[in-house]
Amino acid sequence: MSQIFPIDTVGHDSDVVFDNIGMTFGTKTGVTQAVANVSGVIPEGKFVSVIGPSGCGKSTLLDMVGGLLKPTKGTVSINGETVTGPRRDTAMVFQEDSTLHWRTVLDNVAFGLEVKGVPKADRYESARRMIELVGLSGFEDHRPGQLSGGMKQRVAIARALAMEPRVLLMDEPFGALDQQTRQFIGRELLRIWEKTRNRVLFITHDIQEAVYLSDEVWVMSARPSVVKEVVTIDLPRPRPEGTHTLPRFRELEDHLWELVKVEAEKTLGPGARLA
Amino acid sequence: MVSQSLMVPPSEILIRLAEIVPTDRFGQDVARTLTTILVSFTIGLVLGVPLGIFLWRVPAAGRILEPFIVTGYAMPTLLFYPVLLAVMGLNAGPIIVIAASMSLIPIALTTMVALNAIKPILHKLANSVSASPRQYYLKVLFPAATPLIFPGVKLGFIYAVIGTVAMEFILASQGVGFRAGFYYRELNTADMWAYIAVVIVLSVLVNGVLTWLEKRIRRDML
Repeated sequence: MSQIFPIDTVGHDSDVVFDNIGMTFGTKTGVTQAVANVSGVIPEGKFVSVIGPSGCGKSTLLDMVGGLLKPTKGTVSINGETVTGPRRDTAMVFQEDSTLHWRTVLDNVAFGLEVKGVPKADRYESARRMIELVGLSGFEDHRPGQLSGGMKQRVAIARALAMEPRVLLMDEPFGALDQQTRQFIGRELLRIWEKTRNRVLFITHDIQEAVYLSDEVWVMSARPSVVKEVVTIDLPRPRPEGTHTLPRFRELEDHLWELVKVEAEKTLGPGARLA
Repeated sequence: MVSQSLMVPPSEILIRLAEIVPTDRFGQDVARTLTTILVSFTIGLVLGVPLGIFLWRVPAAGRILEPFIVTGYAMPTLLFYPVLLAVMGLNAGPIIVIAASMSLIPIALTTMVALNAIKPILHKLANSVSASPRQYYLKVLFPAATPLIFPGVKLGFIYAVIGTVAMEFILASQGVGFRAGFYYRELNTADMWAYIAVVIVLSVLVNGVLTWLEKRIRRDML
């Protein structure tokens, strides 16, 4: 497989670097190659989204950065160090509700820091700051059972941000939310991110969401997957409401849609037509 | 009319109760029974929870052992009581063995089921924040599983009560179950009922405490 775009895999020490990674799973029917060959860099302060057809290994890619999965080929490195397991400088937000239902919002947000061994006063201070940042002030003592789906995802985002990660890994964090909540919380995420400017690797199915949030969108091919194209989102920041209606936004969206459609048709079969 | 050897008027039972309760022997019996129950339950808990964790951690062992454990649950273990008496003598030992083994089984089984029911995302979360095994158990697994384990623990306690009182009833040297059985065989119906009333009151109290505890834990957990 040829590399689609040139990268400097040695380059900047602080970057997240994918160096020719591949992932092969053993299954009942034999061996499945989920990820064929992915190379890429997430530079400092950039928001990178990954889109692609279902089952193309987007989440696998994310889990490899998070240290939850080991690539069978190649390496992922952060800050010049090869990822061999979960690291203290990455934090994950999942699609499913991952709040701890027996803890208050405050203790949920402080969870990552608590595990790190941060003293109580310090971790509560950071947690309160993050709760304010994600707009949950006043809910510190509530339990997840009393919150809506969107609020629970804010708790998960605050928990991840409180760990001040070098890389924030988000696996379809808004995938389980309804359309309105999703757009609203997407705008909120962007507002928060403008302040923190962590590196973000964001997995999504939603092209519009990817364009709106990202600096770069990586389009993955169907299995065995490669990064088919890296699309730079050259929309100015900050991106106020109404960004969706800019002609450039539409162009980028259409371009990504064309790329994804071809891959989705491969996955779903030649007869498949997407509405 | 009901025969006097089967049932006596409640008024007579109450009179006997009032006479029995202040005696030293009654205090000793209650103390003996409660101690036996507590020791049996503690053993059941201390062995049952780790057994449940083991069955969960090693699914192959779980699949192999589960039928035996369920059989142990269904089997009237009290049949081994005479053998245990012969081996260990007439003391609290054989009662504790039976009551603890009765108490252990529901605790182990619900622990396994509760751990299996934990959402996979919580394992992923614990892993992603590099939780140590200790943190993983204390901060994620146990709190997540407690609301589901608790009914099993409650059942384990009730089994410890049943096991203890039943074994005392069959043969013992002390305890409220022993007294009820003793007066039953003596055809002293009024005293037998007085002790049965004591057992009922104790059970209701214990159940009340457990239900209260369960509600408290659930409120904190959910």
